[in-house]
Amino acid sequence: MSDTVKKEKSMILQKEMIGGLFKELGNTKESGKKVVYTFVPGNLSELIRSFDMLPVYPEINALQSGMRKMSGDYIKEAEKWGHSEDVCTYVKCDIGMMLKGNIGPTGEKIPDPDLLLLSYTGCFTFLKWFENLEHLYPGVPVALIHTPYQENGEITAEMTDYMVKQLKNDVIPKMEKVSGQKFDPDKLKTILQHSADTEDLIAKIFDTTKNVPSPIDAYFAGVYYIGPINIGFRGTPEATEYYKELYKEILERVRLGLGPVTPEGEMEEEKYRLVVEGPPNWTSFREFWKLFYDMGAVIVSSSYTRVGGVYKNGFRHDPDRLLESLSEYCMGCYTNLNLNQRVDLLGEEIQEYKADGFLVNSIKSCNSFSAGQLLIMRTLEDKLEIPVGFIESDLVDPRYFSYSNIKNRLESFFQMLEQRKIMVD
Amino acid sequence: MDNGIITIGIDVGSSYVKTVLLSYSENIEILDHHIEKIRKRNPAIVAEESINFLLDKNNLVYEDIVYLASTGEGEMVERKKGHFYSMTTHARGATFLFNNVDFVVDMGALYVKAIKIDKVGRVLDYKMTGQCASGSGQFIENISRYLGLAISEVGEMSLKSKAPETPSGICAVLAETDVINMVSRGISTPDIVKGIHISVANRVIKLLNSLKADGTIVLTGGMASNIGMVQTVKELAEKAGLNPDNIKAHPNSIVAGALGAAIWAGFRYNKLNAKALSN
Repeated sequence: MSDTVKKEKSMILQKEMIGGLFKELGNTKESGKKVVYTFVPGNLSELIRSFDMLPVYPEINALQSGMRKMSGDYIKEAEKWGHSEDVCTYVKCDIGMMLKGNIGPTGEKIPDPDLLLLSYTGCFTFLKWFENLEHLYPGVPVALIHTPYQENGEITAEMTDYMVKQLKNDVIPKMEKVSGQKFDPDKLKTILQHSADTEDLIAKIFDTTKNVPSPIDAYFAGVYYIGPINIGFRGTPEATEYYKELYKEILERVRLGLGPVTPEGEMEEEKYRLVVEGPPNWTSFREFWKLFYDMGAVIVSSSYTRVGGVYKNGFRHDPDRLLESLSEYCMGCYTNLNLNQRVDLLGEEIQEYKADGFLVNSIKSCNSFSAGQLLIMRTLEDKLEIPVGFIESDLVDPRYFSYSNIKNRLESFFQMLEQRKIMVD
Repeated sequence: MDNGIITIGIDVGSSYVKTVLLSYSENIEILDHHIEKIRKRNPAIVAEESINFLLDKNNLVYEDIVYLASTGEGEMVERKKGHFYSMTTHARGATFLFNNVDFVVDMGALYVKAIKIDKVGRVLDYKMTGQCASGSGQFIENISRYLGLAISEVGEMSLKSKAPETPSGICAVLAETDVINMVSRGISTPDIVKGIHISVANRVIKLLNSLKADGTIVLTGGMASNIGMVQTVKELAEKAGLNPDNIKAHPNSIVAGALGAAIWAGFRYNKLNAKALSN
């Protein structure tokens, strides 16, 4: 590995964008901008932006607290408040952060919400989370959309109609009231065009892992790449600029035949190509990543980087079908797919990106991701006859990250991959 | 001893350090071995002391050893020349102890791992127990301590059971609570001990089933030296439709990892030598 990590232009752009957003959030008293608390899966960023409101994503705050080693204290604070050890740790971290003053990752206070918008109900915890937020912010209006699960592996016209009606009859009127602005379809149309452009670029970026060596790590670096779209920039010209720059940099890496960049520099040898299912652990993110790059393992695709939108299957926000398109986006989010769809998607990626193995990082406190993962793993193992591995950790509760246990399991998994390679070669 | 080269294999586990001194030639021979409990000491120091102990006992000096290989958590062993993954070493150790091995079950302090191998000992597939300690040797050791037994006593003790009481098989904490409850209900110690053996052995059978195990199955690791555990695995294997006679354990099963590392050490030394000569 090389000793230094060069700051690419895209990294600087991303830092400026995120810093700017938190600054804007810190200035809402002066600017008068309204604030909407919402979630990443199935988020309605474009609609929020069309009313000139600012989104706040509690999961993003929680994961950033995890990376800054602050989540442990926030979780304990929430547990003192009465939450059980088994409750989702994103929830407890978020609530603990609010109870301790709601200071965001840049050190500025995150403003209180003017609207609580829940646009994905596939995760039951989200509903309970919003019930808690309602208690913490009494009197703040709540807009809640019931998002039908893709039980039969498809989005029907009836499902879309049902969603559109909820947007028209509940969400948009509440947004008009909170923001004091009338719904402007032309403005939303422009925003959705930017979203579609951004989504094209994201799909292309994550497709570059077809190259050998892969120019990027689609999981550990991938979480940084999806940062701007998952923090509310989807639908903005800045996001399109950021992804254009990022794509250009990645294509240059492909041209030079370079592997991914890690915190310790460029990875020199790609030994194993993996597809990973499940979110990463945030409290020991660097240690966790190191376990992979030290072994020459590159993640060529991960389901987690699709949590804010599955663009691989061709979905794009459509400026000519405003509310229908937003509805289909909500219903198409990764954890709203049924298990067969998830198996198919992961299986295609394993084959398309020539992965040597499939690994599940099962998250203790995330039911919507973890339910069915063993079945997914066994099905893929039987169907594709590839080595599979299963490790367990948590999102932001440091108590559930056992380094030696994970290392032990990963070593066995990598050994299996090596043996399989020797036999194939 | 024939004119073989001398190697050492050292397996650093979470409870014990196992060291094997080997004469490597066409006729591989175990010259000596040493098993040392870590007992809250620095494993790297225990490893060094174990190496010195074997060298001194056999009137050897470190320079007499052509290759020292580590396995398990042995990457911290200072004088090692190479490190091998534990599945590879347990597989090699098992194929030295028995002929025609199809599966190896490494039953250690932290986990149980069932490994499918081919005729030359290459790892084809594996399955291991989950994070919970209820499927581990450490679990048996903890329960023994609660019952006031030495770990060396539990195997024999379990053979005296008449009506075993099985605790929770999915959670070590629940199982420990079950055991406390059994003691207060007056369940006999052999029945409790047999119950915890059944609980762990059930996990072994589950792993073997998921690998569709058949043929010769060799138990290795610390729990394979527990006569009661071997017996219980055989009993449950029979219930699961496996031939209990195919479940094998050897007095040297506990050092199978270190033994495999010592054998691979000889193999690698000769390869490196041959390469150097051809250059």
